[in-house]
Amino acid sequence: MKHLTLASLILSLGCAAPLSAGVPEAVQDHALPAVQSFAVQARALAVNAAADCTAAAVIPSYHNAFDAWLGLAHLGFGPLETDGRALTIAFWPDKRGMVASTVARLVADQDAAVADAGEFAQVSIAGRGLFALERLLFDPEYAGYGREDYSCRLVAAIAGDLDQMAGAIAADWSDEAAALLSAGEEGNTRYLNDAEAAQRLYTALLAGLEFVADQRLGRPLGTFDRPRPERAEARRSDRSLRNVTLSISALSDLAQALSTAPTPVTDQAFADALDEARALDDPIFDGVSDPSGRLRVEILQQRVQAIRTAVSAEIGAQLGVGTGFNSADGD
Amino acid sequence: MTTRRGFLASLLAASTMPRLSWADAGNPAYLSAAREGDGGYALFGLSETGADVFRIPLPGRGHAATAHPTAPEAVAFARRPGTFALVIDCVTGHVAHRLESPSGRHFYGHGAFVAGGDILCTTENDIDSGEGRIGFWSRREGYARIGEIASGGIGPHEILALPGDVLAVANGGIRTHPSRGRDKLNIPEMRPNLAYARVSGVEEVVELDPDLHLASIRHLASDGTTVGFAMQWQGDLPDPAPLLGLHRRGSAPVLCSADLAEQMAMQGYAGSIAMTGDLVGITSPRGGRVHLFGLDGAFRAALRRADVCGLASRGAALLATDGLGGVLSLASDRMEPLRVAPRAWDNHLVRIV
Repeated sequence: MKHLTLASLILSLGCAAPLSAGVPEAVQDHALPAVQSFAVQARALAVNAAADCTAAAVIPSYHNAFDAWLGLAHLGFGPLETDGRALTIAFWPDKRGMVASTVARLVADQDAAVADAGEFAQVSIAGRGLFALERLLFDPEYAGYGREDYSCRLVAAIAGDLDQMAGAIAADWSDEAAALLSAGEEGNTRYLNDAEAAQRLYTALLAGLEFVADQRLGRPLGTFDRPRPERAEARRSDRSLRNVTLSISALSDLAQALSTAPTPVTDQAFADALDEARALDDPIFDGVSDPSGRLRVEILQQRVQAIRTAVSAEIGAQLGVGTGFNSADGD
Repeated sequence: MTTRRGFLASLLAASTMPRLSWADAGNPAYLSAAREGDGGYALFGLSETGADVFRIPLPGRGHAATAHPTAPEAVAFARRPGTFALVIDCVTGHVAHRLESPSGRHFYGHGAFVAGGDILCTTENDIDSGEGRIGFWSRREGYARIGEIASGGIGPHEILALPGDVLAVANGGIRTHPSRGRDKLNIPEMRPNLAYARVSGVEEVVELDPDLHLASIRHLASDGTTVGFAMQWQGDLPDPAPLLGLHRRGSAPVLCSADLAEQMAMQGYAGSIAMTGDLVGITSPRGGRVHLFGLDGAFRAALRRADVCGLASRGAALLATDGLGGVLSLASDRMEPLRVAPRAWDNHLVRIV
């Protein structure tokens, strides 16, 4: 399958063997377009940054690439796990401030790895990806760097590296799609039966919802006594709420594709959460520090948690799958 | 003239106690509990390749089973904070004995046999003080309680018998109280350790650096010389804290980590550990992967499999089980599925000696 392009793979799906309902749709209508979109936007980012690495020139394609990443990020298994790609592309949450320290070290050392893509791929993952890029493009410490500055070359190197990873993900997704669609067939050692393929996608859906509720919203919320707005994701580029909204949309798309029968409760729960997010005028969750603003973010978090409940009841039941027996309850 | 039949009859009459072996239970190589398709639970004996050898229904979800070294007996512990354990005759499938934890105690879910299988050792909580205990039970006396020692820490979880009847004990450091279910009551102050004990008491206690005090030491494996300990991070996630340590008595422990991304992908959680030859593995059902290291502490490989948790040695390789029913053979660089059973394998896969 390695030689198939994504487009030809999509066309060839019509003759796939019978599969757990929902899996072909999730692969064809959700995953492969998301992979393709991220590849296109990462390429645009790299091309633009190579032509002009100044912040003003790169910022629009940074946003486009980040938007596209949010369509894919929740499919965190397989191609996104290889070589730690998901974490390299988006090193967040970053409790220990590793992005800041790694970027600072690269700049201070004028690390020569920026001159060579292969060498740059060996740089610490905290110094690569969208969050390293965000720091260089938006943080006052680096703002206004000039065309001849090291920071400018670093921006171009990070953009090129993102393009490489997006391309590798797209290549690997051809194999991954084939494995998901041939679950249970002779020689498929990744998915040993239909249920495993459905379980994989379903688990990604639930984990994605959990990440939005617990991390993207939960981290800035902190506790009532100690709200932590400074922990909001991608706050330097004003993307915190935008990331939540785009994530929920992407997860809604996956839920639609994966379900095999009407899911009225799930659909309503997604709509409610998206309405709440769109009505929230707090792009970086600064409001968590005052009681009324905090309440709005808490309500959004509850809406996302309600989606999770609805998905478990409706889609989990349809597919006959649940959460992992051991991952959900270890000892 | 003595007939063959008459000779056998007199031999049987002469023996006061029939000596059954694991061969009488079909020669299983492993034990594992599982949740079945109908929601019920059972203990399974498995062959070297993961095929079913026997199936014995269990009254509820268990934790680890402890296999007697020679007799076909398995001790199945209730999930913590359970107050009973069942000694199961794996030939008949019947409960041979029921162990009740003493008043004011509960089991933590693991046990080990010493003294050639005569004494069962169980990890327990002294509920009022929160101190760990190791209880001793005499198999010859119908699993009567015969004594106990302090475990050397709080929250002892897995216990392992080493050569010379030395016990390795993973004192997880987490205080719990049955009235609070499985709530963790002392996370900020927890201080886990690895303790070595004999029936007379604890001989050596190994603690990690204070900045790793949130790494709960919970599961153990050994080749007789090196003890591997698997940990569960109790701090905020994601975190690249090490989840595996290797220790030889008298030396400092060696901590083992993969690269940053792989380490964080374990989700701060190792569910089981096993060792064979110069290979040691830990599973993370939450991260959906097995990490393999050499006994020198060097990272060898990450093998991905959803909900993988049970892990035991299989010759020079390892055998893993998962919540999707999979039984997989793991070598230093690859994973080969052997079969998929229609059940969810529970946390631990136990090698029968």
